[in-house]
Amino acid sequence: MTAPARADALARLLGAPPDAAVLDADERAEPWPEGERILAEYGLGAEFVPVAHGGRLDRFDHLVEVLRSVYRRDPALGLGYGVGSFIAAAAVWTAGDERQTASAARTLLSGGRIAAAFHETAHGNDLAAVDCAATPTPDGLLLHGRKEVVANIGRAEALVVFARTDPRPGPRAHSLLLLDRATVRDATDLPRHATTGMRGVLLGGLDFDHVPVPADSVLGGLGTGLETALKAFQVTRATLPAMATGVLDTALRIAVDHLSTRRLYGGTALDLPHVRSVLAGVFTDLLRAEVFAAVALRALHLAPGSAGLYSAAVKIAVPRLLLDAVDRLADLLGAHFYLRGGPSGLFQKLLRDLAPVGFGHVARAACQSTLLPQLPRLAARGWTTPTPVPDGLFTLDGDLPPAAFDRFTLHAGGRDPLAAAVADEDRPDLADLAASCASLRPADLGVTATPAHYDLTTRYVRLLARTTWRRAHLDHPARGFLADPAWSRAALHRSDHPRVPLPEPLAEAVLGELLERHRAGRSFGLTARTPTARPDSREE
Amino acid sequence: MISLAAVERAFEDDPGAWSPEVLAEADEREEFPVGAVEALDALGVAAHYVLGPDCDFPRSAAVLRAVARRDLTVAIAHGKTFLGSAPVWVAGSAAQVDGLAERVRGGASVCLALSEPEHGADLLAGEVTATPVGRGWSLDGEKWPINNGTRGDLATVLARTDPAGGGRGFGVFLVDRAGLADGAWRCLPKARTHGIRGADISGFALRDAVVGPEALVGGAGDGVAVVLKALQITRIACTSLSLGAADHALRLAVRFVAGRRLYGRTLADLPHARRTLGRVVARVLAAEAVALVATRSVHASPDELGVVSAVAKAFVPTTVQDALGLLAELLGSRGFLVEPDGFAKVERDHRVVGIFDGSTVVNRTLLLTQLPRLGRLLARRRYDADGVRAAVAGDLPPFDRDRLTLVSATGCAVVQSLPDAVDRVRAHPLAPEGLLALTGPLLAEADAVRDEAIAFTPTVGGLPAAAYRLAERYENLFAAAACLHRWLAHVDHADGPLWTDARWVRGCLAHLLDRPDDAVSDALARAVLDHPGALSDVTR
Repeated sequence: MTAPARADALARLLGAPPDAAVLDADERAEPWPEGERILAEYGLGAEFVPVAHGGRLDRFDHLVEVLRSVYRRDPALGLGYGVGSFIAAAAVWTAGDERQTASAARTLLSGGRIAAAFHETAHGNDLAAVDCAATPTPDGLLLHGRKEVVANIGRAEALVVFARTDPRPGPRAHSLLLLDRATVRDATDLPRHATTGMRGVLLGGLDFDHVPVPADSVLGGLGTGLETALKAFQVTRATLPAMATGVLDTALRIAVDHLSTRRLYGGTALDLPHVRSVLAGVFTDLLRAEVFAAVALRALHLAPGSAGLYSAAVKIAVPRLLLDAVDRLADLLGAHFYLRGGPSGLFQKLLRDLAPVGFGHVARAACQSTLLPQLPRLAARGWTTPTPVPDGLFTLDGDLPPAAFDRFTLHAGGRDPLAAAVADEDRPDLADLAASCASLRPADLGVTATPAHYDLTTRYVRLLARTTWRRAHLDHPARGFLADPAWSRAALHRSDHPRVPLPEPLAEAVLGELLERHRAGRSFGLTARTPTARPDSREE
Repeated sequence: MISLAAVERAFEDDPGAWSPEVLAEADEREEFPVGAVEALDALGVAAHYVLGPDCDFPRSAAVLRAVARRDLTVAIAHGKTFLGSAPVWVAGSAAQVDGLAERVRGGASVCLALSEPEHGADLLAGEVTATPVGRGWSLDGEKWPINNGTRGDLATVLARTDPAGGGRGFGVFLVDRAGLADGAWRCLPKARTHGIRGADISGFALRDAVVGPEALVGGAGDGVAVVLKALQITRIACTSLSLGAADHALRLAVRFVAGRRLYGRTLADLPHARRTLGRVVARVLAAEAVALVATRSVHASPDELGVVSAVAKAFVPTTVQDALGLLAELLGSRGFLVEPDGFAKVERDHRVVGIFDGSTVVNRTLLLTQLPRLGRLLARRRYDADGVRAAVAGDLPPFDRDRLTLVSATGCAVVQSLPDAVDRVRAHPLAPEGLLALTGPLLAEADAVRDEAIAFTPTVGGLPAAAYRLAERYENLFAAAACLHRWLAHVDHADGPLWTDARWVRGCLAHLLDRPDDAVSDALARAVLDHPGALSDVTR
């Protein structure tokens, strides 16, 4: 895959900031000021606005690649400056009318922020239990209640609030409101939440005290809040974990920097077979994460009716890959991982900042709950009479129709074009999974599903991911590392035997690519971009 | 000597020093937990750090675990005196031992000074020198990072006595800071660390630091051997830190799972969440079995500690960190908040335990160099049965430091007794079917590890990556044997929900052998959710 030119432009603007500047901001638990200034100058908000509404968002994979430029340098800047706005904006693009989308676009294009006020601490991922209420009145709605742990809620120009508009339980009890922060009076800022990672993100809350809001602030009609959120999340569930691969990219660079200069037992640490094997495995896992995400992002354009499956699958698989990989790098760095200063001092911040990729926004378990009820229909329909694979689904460099938010559906209805591409070797697994899913009863599919039933989703996700790794290799033009059989063999080995090191010749082939990229200062992800070198000024 | 019960009572009686708010604030501000450390001094806890013929090492380890359960930073800050004085306990003259014992009981703080800025685990690369002057020695060079490097009253320093270095080229010196000339000891800055932020991780530079002949511990060329013997014991002591962290995290997790409401239920009502909690319990109990047997082995089979300590230091911190990772996902954003008595601090603090005193990979390397012999000894099924009995339960022989040896000629009795332990379980009237069913796979795994160990050839210039997996599997055999022995020793008189149907040992074996664990995990989770004291039924 090639990166859009503007991702490189942003990378150039950000340059190679000294780790000390990013770390100082983290220590003070403040946004990195120079980073925020640069993103404002670049106009990051326009990345979140579809071209049709005057912004630069045309492809989700390009959005991700632009944000990776930020996550590579400071994940807290990526989440804290921008991504919260994207979660909010996605709901507006999904359900907003012309006036509302124009208003949101204006806010973002002029450098403003929109806070995504969904979360209430008492309910976590249980959106249907949200208490904060917007009660219809003759003049509009009266907003009352609290929103907590919301990025930038204290300084955003606009808010998207997920609120209860019907006291009765059910899927149509909530609505989404787009509010101009300046018109929201009688709301009290709640104390900021201190977190162990992403310390520079301003996580706050608002306590609304019977705030009157206009009726036309409702996005897509009363009672459609949950449906809109679940559709918009199909985009964010895939894009957020995909952006976070930039964190592993830099963590891997720090590790290679350190291990290739660290003198140990008369050589460098990089001479040790164990070290080489771990690095090769981590690099493979980074590419596994990026390839799986890339296909899911393409599906948002090419198979929007089924894309929700793949977004949930990415959210289940990619965070696990990233978190495990960073832990293995921490083991290699040993005491140097544990220090907050020195040449590897940024690593511990990356490890802390990466943590919410798993539970943040929507937890992995909640995504399993999204997939599980769909499995019986997929087994009965999608895996027996395959949906045609859209052209170019696996051609990561291929063109895409413009990003659109109005074509997602709550359920795939049994259509699963990715499963149609499952390789012959994995067909027996898919058939076996289908047999297990066929006997599922409705009672097996809710939040009280047994772990064994939850595990069916894990098996399904695994088959999807393997399919993307194989096909990205087969469909790849004859250049680049994805075209190398070593890549797909390593990817499948890591999937088949997660605890067994790569066979040595394979590990060496993978490591050769890694070290060559390290030498050339190219990134370790799909696009192998330059420049990503860390600055010399990081030496203290 | 103060008892475990008295230490635990003191926590309740002195809420000032032990208040979660005070400890959390010290952590955020990176301040040494003075109040808590002084409280431990006032209680006379340091008497547990004196290791001699009349010591009770398991009891001392239990005290350290109790402190770690309260706050890991405090346990590390205070317990370092045991690490620092261990070289004297294992190799000091009668006068050195008596003198230091008096100082330690009087509250002196002793640090272990091995690490140097450029060489962490590589003892033979140390550059600090000891040059003969008159009848004594002059020490020069830097030690960093050192736990209590600034606050230490005394330090045991590994220094090069032969400029050529080598296995016989180092000595250990007990340096009393108060006895040095002005300027001979200069403190080096505190390292800012990822966790244990309040601990005094700093160091010192020695310059013409002249000490008398009485400072040398052992012979002038014995330093590396002295340190390696001392590490055999301190590495086992480190497992108390991991268990304390695990106790702490489990308490927080049980409270969260029982109280957290989602989807109209508590998390405890969700089978999927219960499985995760049960898996954590199984890991913690396996870690505990290894730690308890290793701790008793200090008395029971000191000649085998070269193997036992490496197994324990590799297995216990790794397994507990793995358990904390599962809990991090279960707790989600709650586990990410900085708050008094919060999970995030436990998780950050604990990551250091796998690093210091020889990292996991250092200990696995140590184990691997002995593995072919361990495989052959396992095949012969010969071992010191009395040693195993004492390592599991009952009266302990006095600690005999003269039986410490760098290489265990008799291998590892705990692992070598595994086939016999399986025979005894199979013949035991109380062994349930669910436990018997696991014994076949366990023996098959023992056979496989035995054969691979015998076939393994340690190579110079770095061991092959695959070998580290083999070391891990050997550790798992140790853990399985420890669990079976503990079950056999206690089942006749044990009671409580974790003993019903051999639940705890089935959970441990299922984890160690990677067998299906849904049912037993659920039973373990229910046991700890429904019976607050269930875990202490196993810890005996």
